[in-house]
Amino acid sequence: MNTALALFKYLTPESFLAETAFFVLIAGLFKATAARRTALLSLAILGGLASIAWLVLNPDTVNIAHGMAVIDPLTRLGKIAIVALSLGACVYAAASAIEEHFAEYLALILFTAIGMMLLVSAEDLLMIFIGLEMTSIPLYLLAAYLKKSSASAEAALKYFLFGGVSAAFLLFGFSLIYGSTGSTSLQALALIPRATASDPVFLAGVAFALAGFGFKVAAVPFHLWAPDVYEGAPTPSAALIASASKVAGFLILAKFLTLGFVHATGSAVWNLWQPGWLPLVAVLAAASVAVGNLAALSQTNVKRILAYSAIAQSGYMLIGLLAVGQRRETAIASVLFYVIVYALTTLGAFGIVGIVEKRRGGAQLQHFDGLHRSSPGLALALGVFMISLAGIPPLAGFFGKFYLFAGALGSVTSASDGSLGLLWVLIVAIVFNAVSLYYYLIVLKHVFVAPVPDAPHAAEPQPRTAAGYLSGLLAVAVVVIGLYPPLLLEPIAGAVTATARAAAQTELRATLNPPQR
Amino acid sequence: MSQDYLLLTLFLAIAVIFPVIPLAIAWAWCRIFTPPKPGHDKQAIYECGLESKGPARIQFRAQYYLYALIFLVFDVEAVLLFPIAAMGGFGALSAGSALAVLAFLCLLFEGLVWAWAKGILEWK
Repeated sequence: MNTALALFKYLTPESFLAETAFFVLIAGLFKATAARRTALLSLAILGGLASIAWLVLNPDTVNIAHGMAVIDPLTRLGKIAIVALSLGACVYAAASAIEEHFAEYLALILFTAIGMMLLVSAEDLLMIFIGLEMTSIPLYLLAAYLKKSSASAEAALKYFLFGGVSAAFLLFGFSLIYGSTGSTSLQALALIPRATASDPVFLAGVAFALAGFGFKVAAVPFHLWAPDVYEGAPTPSAALIASASKVAGFLILAKFLTLGFVHATGSAVWNLWQPGWLPLVAVLAAASVAVGNLAALSQTNVKRILAYSAIAQSGYMLIGLLAVGQRRETAIASVLFYVIVYALTTLGAFGIVGIVEKRRGGAQLQHFDGLHRSSPGLALALGVFMISLAGIPPLAGFFGKFYLFAGALGSVTSASDGSLGLLWVLIVAIVFNAVSLYYYLIVLKHVFVAPVPDAPHAAEPQPRTAAGYLSGLLAVAVVVIGLYPPLLLEPIAGAVTATARAAAQTELRATLNPPQR
Repeated sequence: MSQDYLLLTLFLAIAVIFPVIPLAIAWAWCRIFTPPKPGHDKQAIYECGLESKGPARIQFRAQYYLYALIFLVFDVEAVLLFPIAAMGGFGALSAGSALAVLAFLCLLFEGLVWAWAKGILEWK
């Protein structure tokens, strides 16, 4: 089978989404009514489900065009998560205040999903860059979607400028990596000699690329766009940026670092620094956890609280990547578990914020006053999400953090030189995690304790909507995964192990016949 | 080790001095031999076009961009169809490639239909 046909066959899930997006665009030309809105949403969901079904039913492992698109259990899992989260954003979009050009909004969400799916299946620097751009450009449009709101325009412009600069950093880093190794394939980069791995030009390339990825996942000090974008963008767009885009970003970052740069890890042990990507990631992680949690304390807008919380959560996920030195598979599995749990939680939380915003005209803390009277279900779900984000057992967020921290703690127990390993990062993370409880509980205080506002109908039960049901479903998922973590952890660990086994075979083959440079 | 850095410092110093000297000479030359004497004729646009009328900051209609984008639909279609016409038309293609070309044309055409139905082609 030639490459073009193989591409066409194995990128069928992406084709499904693209065709659905085109159909939605044409169907959206008819005059919009409530029934047609539902029909458009059903069409998008149908396409997404077809895409997921294809991914589930076709468990092949293929590598097309030397790493341009690699389909293995890990990327398949990532793609399923991305499509599911994007469909969630579609459901919230249907419930949101987006009246004009609704079909185009759904189509843009689907186009973003295609970009993210290509991104996670890339194992080549060029394809990673193209995937990131294919993800980012529709996201800029989604952030700018409320044409008449100046906050939305501001958010989109900030997102666009920061995104453009980060793309430049990334490309510059990639060019340095290519210049010092002569290869853009991650699998070929994994085989570079140790002398090249300590070459300053190569390390500078890795550092620049990390800065670019840092923008994408909103790690401090590359986080400045996040609060304004989350606040100003339409809420479903913010939900998509916080959930699916985060999953894709972390999956590709984990692949980039652990697949291509296993020999350039260096050391992040306190006072025993070695140049490589570990010290950089350790500093990014500690700074994100500290700044994100502290800055969230003084916020009065729930979307901004969620944005700073997202920055802090990025820090926790980066800590998970630090454990790669000890047990690579466990580390990737724990990061993936946490990022998926976080994406489910934050998607649900943004959904509820969107519902409240539409009903009460804002997302300030006081708009949530007495929510438990008017919609007890939403209040309960928001409680579950906030407590899970804070990491309190028995919810899924606790086990996610537990796996991440346990992985990093492995570096302390396995340190043979009597050093304390990565304990310093862990101490920072745990101290600031305690701080984070304050702002999560402030939100819940407004929901459950604050008196119901005097506004008419504030305490009346509100009609239930599809968006509300989806938030409830996500809350149930968070509770169930918390009660029985293997439900999600086992598929992830299985996929990571299967992928590693396949990769080991490829590596053996590559060592026997080195790739042509 | 310190020798290496000495070389580096020397290099830096030369790198700074090298461009500064010509700049300084040019500045001094300008001060001594060609003092500025601006006048009406000297500051006229001269050989570089006409005198501009009105302010440079005008609002440019966004619709021009939309028209340009939609023009691309026809442009890409022409680029694709012209070689096929030169080859002897669709009859010269195999069934598979004719289908692929038609699918691509349909995608382009969908863009035009979408823009038309959205009212983008109406000049407002």
